[in-house]
Amino acid sequence: MSRPQALDDGTMQSVSPVTAPVLAVKDFSLTFKAGAETNLVESVSFSVSPGKTLCIVGESGCGKSVTSLALMGLLPSPPARIVSGTAEFNGRNLFAMPERARADLRGNEMAMIFQEPMTSLNPAFTVGQQIAEGIMRHRDVSKGEARAEALKMLEWVRIPAPEKRLDAYPHQLSGGMRQRVMIAMALANRPKLLIADEPTTALDVTIQAQILALVRQIQAETGTAMILITHDLGVVAEVADDVAVMYAGRIVESGPVEAIFGDPQHPYTIGLFGSVPSLGRRQGRLATIKGAVPPLDLMPKGCRFAPRCPLADSRCHDEVPPTVPFGDGHSAACWYAPIEQTMEARQ
Amino acid sequence: MSAATAEAPILEARGLVKRFGGRRGLFESSPTVHAVNDVSLQIRRGETFAIVGESGCGKSTLGRLLLRLIEPSEGDVLYEGQSITSLPSRDMRRLRRDLQIIFQDPFASLNPRMTVGDIIAEPIRLHGLARGAAVRARVSELLGIVGLRPEYADRYPHEFSGGQRQRIGIARALAGEPKLIIGDEPVSALDVSIQAQVINLLEDLKERFGLTLVIVAHDLAVIRHMSDRVAVMYLGEIVEMSPVDPLYEKPLHPYTQALLRAIPAPDPKDRVAPQLLQGDVPNPTDLPTGCRFHTRCPHVQPRCAQEHPALEDAGGGRLVACHFWREIGEAEPGIGADDSADTALSRRLEVYRTFQARREAEPSTPDINQQGGQT
Repeated sequence: MSRPQALDDGTMQSVSPVTAPVLAVKDFSLTFKAGAETNLVESVSFSVSPGKTLCIVGESGCGKSVTSLALMGLLPSPPARIVSGTAEFNGRNLFAMPERARADLRGNEMAMIFQEPMTSLNPAFTVGQQIAEGIMRHRDVSKGEARAEALKMLEWVRIPAPEKRLDAYPHQLSGGMRQRVMIAMALANRPKLLIADEPTTALDVTIQAQILALVRQIQAETGTAMILITHDLGVVAEVADDVAVMYAGRIVESGPVEAIFGDPQHPYTIGLFGSVPSLGRRQGRLATIKGAVPPLDLMPKGCRFAPRCPLADSRCHDEVPPTVPFGDGHSAACWYAPIEQTMEARQ
Repeated sequence: MSAATAEAPILEARGLVKRFGGRRGLFESSPTVHAVNDVSLQIRRGETFAIVGESGCGKSTLGRLLLRLIEPSEGDVLYEGQSITSLPSRDMRRLRRDLQIIFQDPFASLNPRMTVGDIIAEPIRLHGLARGAAVRARVSELLGIVGLRPEYADRYPHEFSGGQRQRIGIARALAGEPKLIIGDEPVSALDVSIQAQVINLLEDLKERFGLTLVIVAHDLAVIRHMSDRVAVMYLGEIVEMSPVDPLYEKPLHPYTQALLRAIPAPDPKDRVAPQLLQGDVPNPTDLPTGCRFHTRCPHVQPRCAQEHPALEDAGGGRLVACHFWREIGEAEPGIGADDSADTALSRRLEVYRTFQARREAEPSTPDINQQGGQT
C-alpha cells in the first residue's frame, strides 16, 4: 500500500500506480454566500486509498462536515455553491455529475454515517425495513431477499439477537446499537467509500471502543476506504492512516498519522495537542489556543490562524502561507515551517 | 493537592437514594428508575472532587441531590455539618449563595430574553449583595474575572459562542461569592481549544477564591487533569472512590479498569486490540441482582450474582465495591505515571508556550483580543 505524497503544490496523491485512490479531491472551495470575499472551505485537497482511513480533524466551523456533505451531494444549492475544485471518485468527477447519477452512488458505492443515529433513522419504520429499503433501491432483489440480506448485515455488525432486532423500532435500541444499525445500513451495498461524521461522539467511552473496533474490523474485511471526521485526537490516534487537520476552512497540516502525532509542524496542530489533557500524571496547566475562530466576514486575508497564533507576524496576517512538504506525504501550511529551524533563528 | 485532614467535610452525603417514577395509575404503572442508590461521600474543603461514569449512571442526579435541586427519596446531605434536606425554603435560599452549579449546555441554562448583565446581576440583587450603580460595577468586575469584556453586559446570550456562554454561566455562579461549585459536564459541549481555556479558568478561580469544586463528567482525561479525588459510578452506585493518581495507575474495580481500557490510546504507536467490555449498561428500571456490574464483568463469579458487594476500605484513602478486588487488582495494569518523555511535540509545545508568554507580555495585542478577550 502506498502513502499519499505531498506534491509541490500541496495536493496529496498516491504515488503508486497500483492502488489508485478511491477519492481524490483537488482544490475544493465552497461558499454559502454569493459574492462573498472569503470561502467557507478554501482550496482543500486530499485523497484516500482503498482500505485506508483518512481522518479529517478540526473544531466546530472548520468546514470538515460541510466538506463531507458536499462530497455526498447532500448540500442544498443554493445557498451552497462549489466555487472550484474536482472530486474524482472512481475516475469520475462527482462535482460534474448530474443529480440522478449521484443519487445512484449514494448509499451504494459511497455511504455516510452520522453523529446522532437517532436523528438519521426514521422512527416510524423498523430497523429491518430501513436496511432493506437501501438494498432494494440499488439492487434488483425481492422484498424477502432484501430482508434476509438485512438480517445478515445485523449479524455482521454484531447486534445480539438480530432476528428480534430486525422488527425493532429505533427508539427501542440503545445508542450504541443504533449506531451499529447505521453502519449496517451504510455497508449494505458494499460501498467503496464510507464517510463517517463524528460516528462515536454521542456514545459512551466503552461503547465508543466497541464501535471503533467494529469499524476497523469491517474495513480489514472489505477494503472499504474511509473518511472519518472527528474532533477527538484519541479517535484519530486509534484509527487513522492519514490525517488532515482543518482550521477555518483550510487544511493547515496533513500527512501520515505517525508524522502528525510524532512531528507536528503547524502551530494550530501543536496548540490542539497542548489543549488536550493527558491521561498520565498532571503536567501543569494546559496550553491553550487564545481566542476563538474568527467569523467568516472577519477572516484574515493571510493565514486564517494568524490572529490566534503565538508565532504570527505581519506577513502571516497579510499573505496566505505556502504548503511546505517535509517528505513522506507530510506537509504544513505555515510561513514558519519547518518550525524548529525558524524558531532557533528567531530566539 | 489537598492532603487528608481531620477537618470536617464541607459537604457530605449520607445514604442518598433517588428513585424516579413508580407511580401507579388507574390503568398502568410507570416503572421505577433507581437513579442513585445508597451513596455516601464526603467532600473536603478546597479539593476538586470528580464524579465519573457513563450515561445513565446517576452522576448528574447525584450532583443535583448534593445541592438539593431535587429531593432525595432517602438519605441526607450535610453542608458544613448541617442537614440541608429538611431546611425550610427561606433558609435554603440563603444557602444557595454558597452552593452553585454550572451546567453542561450554557445556552439552555441562560435566559434568552435577559441581557448578560441582568443574568449576572440577578443573584446579586436576590441576595442583596449590592444596590444601584454598585450592581453594574460588580457585573463588570465579574465579567472581567471570567475573561469577558465589561461592555458585553448589554448583549444577549445568543450573541455569544459556546465558550463565551460558559464563561457567562461561570460569572453568574460566582456572583453570590460561593464556597462550592458543582460543574455538571462543564466543558464537554465545548471544542477542544475552548475546553482547555475553560478548564484553566476554573482552576484559576478555584485558587483565587478558595473554592471547592465538584466536577461531574465522563471525560477521563479531563478528570485526571483537574481533580484530587474521584468517585466512579455505575448504575446509581459508587463502585470505587480514590485519590486520582492511584485510581488511574492501579484501578481496583473491574469497571474502572474497563473504563480506562476503553479510552483510545493517545499515541498511534500504542495501538493495541484491547479487551473490550461487551454489551450495554442494563436498564435502571430492571437492575441485575447482586453486584450490578456482574452482567458485564470479565471476572464474574457465581457469588457476584447473589451477593451485593459493599464499599470496603482498600487502604490509602481508597474504597472499592467488589468481592474479588484483591485477586483482580494485581493482574491489571493501569495507565503509566510517566508521560513526560522528551518528544518533538513536547519541545514544540515549549516553543509555543514561550512565544505565547512573550506575546502576553507585550503591551497591546489587539488581534488576539478581537474575539472577546478570551484568555
